Amino acid sequence: MNLLEIENLSHRYPDGTRGIEDINLTILKGEFVVIAGRNGSGKTTLLKHLNGLLLPDTGMVRIAGIPVSQDLVKARQMVGMVFQDSDSQIVGETVHNDVAFGPENLCLDRGEINTRVATALAAVGLGGLENQRPHTLSGGEKRRLAIAGVLAMKPIVVVFDEPFSDLDYPGVKQVLQQILTLHQAGHTILVTTHDLEKVIAHANRLIIMKDGKIVRIGSPEDLIKETEVFGVREPCASRMGMEIRSWLS
Amino acid sequence: MAELTILNYRPGTSVMHTIDPRFKLVCLVLISLSILNTYPLELGVLTLSVVAVLMNIHVSFSSILKELRFFFIFLFFVFMARAIFTPDVANPQDIELKIVTISRQGLYDGALICWRLLIIVMIGLSFVATTQPSEIKAAVQWYLTPIPFIPEKKVAVMMSLMMRFVPVIFNQAKETLDAQRARGVENRKNPVYRLTKFTVPLIRRTFENAEKLAVAMEARCYSDRRTDPELASTRKDWIALFLVIGLCVLISA
Repeated sequence: MNLLEIENLSHRYPDGTRGIEDINLTILKGEFVVIAGRNGSGKTTLLKHLNGLLLPDTGMVRIAGIPVSQDLVKARQMVGMVFQDSDSQIVGETVHNDVAFGPENLCLDRGEINTRVATALAAVGLGGLENQRPHTLSGGEKRRLAIAGVLAMKPIVVVFDEPFSDLDYPGVKQVLQQILTLHQAGHTILVTTHDLEKVIAHANRLIIMKDGKIVRIGSPEDLIKETEVFGVREPCASRMGMEIRSWLS
Repeated sequence: MAELTILNYRPGTSVMHTIDPRFKLVCLVLISLSILNTYPLELGVLTLSVVAVLMNIHVSFSSILKELRFFFIFLFFVFMARAIFTPDVANPQDIELKIVTISRQGLYDGALICWRLLIIVMIGLSFVATTQPSEIKAAVQWYLTPIPFIPEKKVAVMMSLMMRFVPVIFNQAKETLDAQRARGVENRKNPVYRLTKFTVPLIRRTFENAEKLAVAMEARCYSDRRTDPELASTRKDWIALFLVIGLCVLISA
């Protein structure tokens, strides 16, 4: 079943810079898709169209058959977005308040909000830190808090924009494990990255972008040898002719 | 500098911790107002009450002294200003130093004002130490609700963001300063040059982060229509309020 449908999507920024151009893409329910490309290739611009943070100049995005522009609140509830910079995404003065921010915006009652906060924090392994102030958390914990904030809104698609940037090795493993857990729980996952090494072993599909356009789309095995042409480093194992293995194994 | 310890909430189970923040806020205002017209006897009663509260919430006095060290410098200046500039009508030129004249009346007035200010700060400290920032925010939102033309929900979110981002901005300031020191900014003696080089990148970065924050809030469906915070008062809160009103009447009489 097609969950996300993107048709002829183009966007230019107000200063005339091209963001994305003529994107056509469908994402199936439960897929794990990696979108790769060098900086400025349009990955983040594409993601921001999935929940209506940016609206297209031409074209359309549909989630479960409903155009995003028709109901922005619903689109943002269905497509949870975890940004590259966790510090700028965390709005609450405590861990609990940050996770509660989304459900409060959905006008849920307090009992339901507390249940969702507890469930989301337990899901990312931050249970017991409810009263902690966010700036005292480690990089990996902040990223997981940002994920909990999104999970509390019960999305069906979770979109990660460069989820491994600025993280140390344990932080990368924690976040990767979290992404895989969400995928196993039935969420559709989209991850943008310019560093395939950490995540490609788990992807069903690889999309490569360049200059705002999708230039390659297919299975990771088929495309992995072509990535360097588009400014994305081929994973080390693949270069050496070995099987690409998970960072968690 | 990321830790603003004086503004920190300290978890606990004391009576102060369990009182509704709206009641605590109104008690704080009542005491602060009635203290303006108090003298040593009343101030002594208030001091004993405040000490009892601070002991009850398990805040160590050494940590208070440490956290209030800059405030004591401020108090010293207030005291000196009062001592120097208050003329003593009954006993003119009591203590004459080389340059200035200090009057007994001025010393008395200065000590009284400093004592009052210190008590207000101590009460504020015990309020902050026993009330979660989210509770303070909820109480302020509750008090603002009946006032027309004030968007209380926006104010509450702004308070929340301020509490969240003050430590972040301090961290950024420290990073910017360290980066500039690493490139020898200390060799430049011109303070205007140094201030400009420090503030411009800090402000630019703060605005960039504010832009990212606005997008992230939008992605989580932020709007003015959102769930209100939950507050509930009990009999204990009313008893505390009446006790404070009684105390205020007593010290103001």
